[in-house]
Amino acid sequence: MTPQTTTIAASAISATKVYGSGDDAVYALRDVSVDFYEGQFTAIMGPSGSGKSTLMHCIAGLDELSSGSAIIDGTDLSTLKDKELTELRREKIGFVFQSYNLVPTLTANENIRLPLMLGNNKGDEVWIQKVIDTVHLQDRLTHRPSELSGGQQQRVAVARALASQPRIIFADEPTGNLDSITGAEILTFMRKAVDDLGQTIVMVTHDPVAAAYADRIIFLADGHVVNEMTEPTADRVLDLMKSIGH
Amino acid sequence: MFHIALKGILGRKARLILTSLAVILGTSFLAGTSVFSDTLNRTFDNLFSDVFKNVDAYVRSTQVIEAGFGLEERQRITADIVSLVEKVPGVQDASPDIQAFARIIGKDGKPLGSDGQGPPTFGSIGEEFTGALWSTAEGKWPVGPTEVAIDEASAKAGKYIIGDTVKVVAQSGSREFTLVGIASYGDVRSPGGATFALFDSVTASEFLTKPGYIDAILVSGDGSISDTKLSEAIQAALPSTAKTETLTGAQITAETQDQIGSALDFFGILLKTFSFIALGVGCFVIYNVFSISAAQRQRENALLRAIGASRKQITRAMLIEAIVVGLFGSIVGLIAGIGLSVSLSALLRAVNIDIPSGGLVVSQNTVTSTVIIGLIVTVLSAILPARRAGKVPPLAAMRATALEIAEPGRKRLYAGLLSIALGIAIIVAVVAGASNNYLGIGILFVFIGTIVLGPIIARPVALFLGRPAARFRGITGVMARQNSARNPKRTSRTASPVLIGVALVAAVTALAASIKGQIDDVFTAQFKGDYAISTDVRGFGGLSPSLAVDLNELPQVEKATGFGFLTVKIDGKGQYVTTIDPATVDGVFDIGLINAKYSDLTTDSIFLSESYSLRKNLPMESTVTITLGDATERELTVRGLYEFDELAGNFVVNRAMIAKSSVVNFDVGVYIVAKAGIPDGEVQAALDKAVKKYGQGELLTKQEYINKQSGQVNQLLGLIYGLLLLSIIIAFVGIIITLLLSVFERQRELGLLRAVGMTRSQVRTTVRWESVITSLLGAVLGIILGIGLGWIIVFTLKDQGLTSFKLPIIPTIVILVMSFIVGLFAAIYPAWRATRVNILDALNTN
Repeated sequence: MTPQTTTIAASAISATKVYGSGDDAVYALRDVSVDFYEGQFTAIMGPSGSGKSTLMHCIAGLDELSSGSAIIDGTDLSTLKDKELTELRREKIGFVFQSYNLVPTLTANENIRLPLMLGNNKGDEVWIQKVIDTVHLQDRLTHRPSELSGGQQQRVAVARALASQPRIIFADEPTGNLDSITGAEILTFMRKAVDDLGQTIVMVTHDPVAAAYADRIIFLADGHVVNEMTEPTADRVLDLMKSIGH
Repeated sequence: MFHIALKGILGRKARLILTSLAVILGTSFLAGTSVFSDTLNRTFDNLFSDVFKNVDAYVRSTQVIEAGFGLEERQRITADIVSLVEKVPGVQDASPDIQAFARIIGKDGKPLGSDGQGPPTFGSIGEEFTGALWSTAEGKWPVGPTEVAIDEASAKAGKYIIGDTVKVVAQSGSREFTLVGIASYGDVRSPGGATFALFDSVTASEFLTKPGYIDAILVSGDGSISDTKLSEAIQAALPSTAKTETLTGAQITAETQDQIGSALDFFGILLKTFSFIALGVGCFVIYNVFSISAAQRQRENALLRAIGASRKQITRAMLIEAIVVGLFGSIVGLIAGIGLSVSLSALLRAVNIDIPSGGLVVSQNTVTSTVIIGLIVTVLSAILPARRAGKVPPLAAMRATALEIAEPGRKRLYAGLLSIALGIAIIVAVVAGASNNYLGIGILFVFIGTIVLGPIIARPVALFLGRPAARFRGITGVMARQNSARNPKRTSRTASPVLIGVALVAAVTALAASIKGQIDDVFTAQFKGDYAISTDVRGFGGLSPSLAVDLNELPQVEKATGFGFLTVKIDGKGQYVTTIDPATVDGVFDIGLINAKYSDLTTDSIFLSESYSLRKNLPMESTVTITLGDATERELTVRGLYEFDELAGNFVVNRAMIAKSSVVNFDVGVYIVAKAGIPDGEVQAALDKAVKKYGQGELLTKQEYINKQSGQVNQLLGLIYGLLLLSIIIAFVGIIITLLLSVFERQRELGLLRAVGMTRSQVRTTVRWESVITSLLGAVLGIILGIGLGWIIVFTLKDQGLTSFKLPIIPTIVILVMSFIVGLFAAIYPAWRATRVNILDALNTN
């Protein structure tokens, strides 16, 4: 499971995020530089308060860095206005959140196509059908989120993230609210999206089992990158975590 | 629990303000209108106690004709009585009094003062009298037939100075006088915005009424005996044939104040009715806000239940919140209402009604009733949501999201349908002949039923109305449509105030359209002239009868005929009779004579409407006795029957019939047929010149005249629209509050949408269309109910001569467009708030 290409999809350069100022300043990220490669499944791990979610939010254009830069597909996010940033999220980024991923008033089909529809974009129908097939949602398309199980809801969320063929997908604890079997199912889909569909995925998690699905793991603690691992297994991840005092 | 309730309220100031807003609006209208009518009442009370301040006794005729609508016409007395009164011991001074119609014409040829609804234009007596309130600010009192004094305000408005020639129009025509004095009234320049032309008593009686007649005698005593004794002495000294009565100064003051008071009471009741409608509409908003807030606090309440709070305690906490909101809201509403009444007074001043300012009257009654009503309404509106809040199971605390249960029950369906069916049954019974009194109950049942069914019909109707938005606005429209239908209870509660407001507007509009259509038809059928001279004066003054005579002499005029109304007694009842000129009326004003000629109408004849003749069994050649205003009787023979009674009423007499009485009569209109072959411009110029000479009246073409007649309905319509505006404003605020609460509730959803690429402008669009769909939902249902209501009212007015219902198509479209705009505007602030949702905060709230 080596990266097929070394093209950079997104990166953080000297990313620093500070809350407050002076003596009260709290650093969520301190001078973090990291690249995410295209066609790779990267996991960001770390204890709570390590800055893993902040790093993801800043690279995904949901939050702003205090200094340094976040770059997606060659664009420095700090140069974008709110509207441009929104369009960038819509066109180049896919999101999967831990929970409350779907709009309750829209059907599964509408939820999948939501980013495309927001951009008045029909999208690639062949691709979308392929995505729907991959996540096994053919017979659930007209259902609303309240009529779907938690696992099905997350599959819709993954399908939505894939539908617009973004440069990169960010997933924030996508299996945090699911039981282990359903969680494994979702992670398998994500793995497939990278292997079969060539997607780039960055996933924040604190679960070593989930992280083991990734090609590469970046470990964060106290706002620093403290370690990195490629071709991980759950055991190796656990060992490493123990060694860095997790 | 009280402590927790208070903490809860203070912890959420924004929600407190939102909830209070509906209470504030409702109560402020109530307080404002009540302060305004109290102030108006006291102003007029003061004015009339001033008028008779130095009058100790007041002599007038006993002859009164009730003319309906609470109007009465008191007859005049002969001027020679004054000298009898002066001789009574204890009398220091006695002065004749005349208050009659007179219109001062400005230098530009336009009459001063306002037509119709404004303050009256008086002609009166200006003489030295110890009891008089008038005093000369400049110059002297007029003496002889060529001199006049006018009030200070009119002098200023007309730019008149002493020595100018002033034209005045009165019953006997228009005349020019020399201005010799400018008078002030107590400490104001003109009482209540009225205009006054003052003459010496002989001129006044001859020019304003009939020579030798006056309205009353004002007496001031020398102080030797009490007012009561003085009045009795005067009454005893007068012959019984004079048919007089003598009141004390205090009695006439009280009587006048009462008369004005009851006229103002009617106005006050009208204002109150509409502020109560507004308050009722406000109830929905308050109920809605409490329901939403109960739903949003479900987990919090469930937690309280889980740790041991009883149902009752939860309910009580919410009711305490309602009491605080009610008190806070109605106190702020009271203060806002006082401000509102100031602006109402300013509005009056803007239309030139200068009421002597004595400050606002904020009575104890206004204060207590506003606060108590505000409090009661708030607590009543909160009872159901509070009980529902108490019913929350403790387990709900563990559930992820448990928002309002959206499924309307079967019970609701049955209750709603039953109420509507009952209402329709009552209405059908009324249409079939039952008493009209039940109509209100029937309509109420239909309204209640519709509102009860609201949550059931809200979803399908909102989805239907949202279809264009979904089609043309892409995904944002789709979401707006779904949002407006996602919580049908909430949507219907938000739309209900709009429904009520629009239904009332639509009903009034439909009624007005039908009345207008009817007026149009009647005038088109009965008015055969090419031109009309019309005046807005109703019941007081009008066009001089000599105008029609003058017009007939113009070479451009084929025929001109004047007509007026006279108040008389027939069968002991006050009645209006139409006075016409038989020599000129034929072919100009068609009353649909049956088997008779206009020339049959001699001064001792009367024409009756066919329906009256049948009803009262008064055939041709029978006799009708009428009592004129001066108590003299006339025996008139029925010489003709007619078919069209819409304009002429039941009685038509020859205008010359009153020639030998003290009764005066004005024309309310003159109809003119132009001579054939003369260009319109020339006819108009000639007529215009003649009308200008009199200063009074407006020259109109046939179509203009007909439009003007039907247009009069618009004034009343305007007033009612203005009053209904209160309800619409509350409905509008209701939409804003609900949207704000919904936006707050959907923060996570909004955060998600922003994260996956919804731009701020798309967020705004979604909220905006949701608002428009909600507003239109209320409007569409309101229009259906309102037009139905209008039809029913028109139907029940069949007996009053309203025969055809007209569908107000254009106004309906206007109402829909307005509702659309109201929806757009209501969404502005909530939409802005929605765009301010912080994506990360929204996503992190679990």
